[in-house]
Amino acid sequence: MNAQIAFLRKEIMEQTRSGRLMLLGVLFALFGIMNPAVAKLTPWLLEIMSDTLAGNGMIVTTVTVSAMDSWVQFFKNIPMALIAFVLTESSIFTKEYQSGTLVLSLTKGLHRDAVLRAKTTVLVVLWTLCYWGCFGITYVYNAYFWDNAVAKNLLFSVVCWWLFGLWTVALMVLFSVVTGTNTGVLLGTGGVVFVSYLLGILPEIKVYVPTQLTDGNALIYGTAGTGDYTAALIAAVVLSAACFAVSVPVFRKKQL
Amino acid sequence: MMEMLRITGLHKRFGDKTVLNRLDLTVPEHSVFGFIGKNGAGKTTTMKTVLGLLKSDTGEIFVNGEQVVYGETVTNRHIGYLPDVPEFYPFMTAPEYLRFCGEITGMQKTDIANRSKELLELVGLEGERHRIQGFSRGMKQRLGIAQALLNRPKLLICDEPTSALDPVGRKEILDILQTVRTQTTVLFSTHILSDVERICTDVAFLDQGTVRVQGKLADIRTKYRREEYILETEREADALRLRTAFPAIRAEGPNRLIFCESGKNAVFDVLRFVTEQRIPLLKMERAEPSLESLFLEVLEQ
Ligand SMILES: Nc1ncnc2c1ncn2[C@@H]1O[C@H](COP(=O)(O)OP(=O)(O)OP(=O)(O)O)[C@@H](O)[C@H]1O
Ligand SMILES: [Mg+2]
Repeated sequence: MNAQIAFLRKEIMEQTRSGRLMLLGVLFALFGIMNPAVAKLTPWLLEIMSDTLAGNGMIVTTVTVSAMDSWVQFFKNIPMALIAFVLTESSIFTKEYQSGTLVLSLTKGLHRDAVLRAKTTVLVVLWTLCYWGCFGITYVYNAYFWDNAVAKNLLFSVVCWWLFGLWTVALMVLFSVVTGTNTGVLLGTGGVVFVSYLLGILPEIKVYVPTQLTDGNALIYGTAGTGDYTAALIAAVVLSAACFAVSVPVFRKKQL
Repeated sequence: MMEMLRITGLHKRFGDKTVLNRLDLTVPEHSVFGFIGKNGAGKTTTMKTVLGLLKSDTGEIFVNGEQVVYGETVTNRHIGYLPDVPEFYPFMTAPEYLRFCGEITGMQKTDIANRSKELLELVGLEGERHRIQGFSRGMKQRLGIAQALLNRPKLLICDEPTSALDPVGRKEILDILQTVRTQTTVLFSTHILSDVERICTDVAFLDQGTVRVQGKLADIRTKYRREEYILETEREADALRLRTAFPAIRAEGPNRLIFCESGKNAVFDVLRFVTEQRIPLLKMERAEPSLESLFLEVLEQ
């Protein structure tokens, strides 16, 4: 138990002292601010350009923006934030394989499960904090400028996206224990998400793949109901659990 | 006398390459054991197998009487390990790293604090407040010894602890190893024979995956003891003539020769040749055989 806490403390120390925590914090906060800012600035930008546009024969009517535009921005930008998260944290296991630091800890009697648990916990908590922090910032600004009530199923739609991120984290863990190189983790995680995206293009399969969860716009506009996401939610939860479960025996037997 | 480590019939292949071939090794308690072999001889492979990090094909390993099982770490509680290229978490300071090591080994808080202080003094890192990322190789090597000794292991395994160091750094590490001999058994690998001569009580020569000779350094010296002679001729051409006449003579320089007293080229035969051919000599000297010539002789057999 002490060993588990010590290793977890080491992981947290690594996140803070390497500056990765800071980097992700700033990045997600920026994304959070950007969503309402872009929405707020749109009418103003259009006004500046209206003279030129009118000269070209286009008539610009006054546009009114609402919280809806900000949430559309949110769902447009959050994939980039997730990609940044994956790139920043993809080496959480592999760096230790390559430097040999992990081997040394294991020879001291540290249990491999403790390593897996600590790293998985850090990734899940970090993703959760970053994501909800970003959401919180956007939510507060939106409430201040407009009214969040215009977005339908808001909480449900953002929970769906968070779960999609969690599935990505589960893939990162799985490919970290299976492949052992940074490239392997990125290719594996990216590859599976891409396959899920490709499958999502087929209408019959669309609602069963986790990438369905990223379609938040349909939910907030009300063109899709929460029921359309049940299958994808179950799929994401089951697949994530499977990734974590498979990682345990694979990591125990991994040649380091 | 207790055996701290016993390896019998260890066999290991990587693909179709046999790296360890029926290797037997016995390390007695409280020895400083020099594990000598050329690059690629299989020293690191042997050590990693002892630690349960590599799976052997056949063979048994016992540490302090307990059998080593691949992938398990129970026997490692007896062992302190210093890898060939030690890497520690660069964002920690030396005391922080030792504390981390103590905690994952399950040591008590106060014990960790006391022992860390003691060991940092032993290895000369007590005043160091910087993070490990700024450490030199010598400092890392010394921290490596401290972390390996933290939980008072019965067996300290060091993989080429002196290879990357300058002569001063080497001497410091060797002194530390010699000091800790009272507390533990030391097994260290090396290809620097002068290091072995300096501190080892026991040695094993590893060659092509098997241990060719092993035992007390003093015994081996007596067993393989032959008088060794150093001969320096005035002219290089004469050195060449001598070598043609006596193939067992080794050249150590253009006009510096070494040969051992043995049945075939006894010193008197050489001297007769020198007299008959009227070869002018600069020097002739009887020397204590160095470990190097001993090693070469073992390999030639
Ligand atoms: N993982 C591996 N896969 C394939 N071959 C390996 C592997 N590890 C070691 N070898 C081979 O095994 C042989 C012995 O390697 P080992 O590292 O044990 O030698 P060593 O005695 O420690 O050498 P050095 O003095 O260079 O450290 C080498 O020829 C090496 O190529
Ligand atoms: Mg080696």
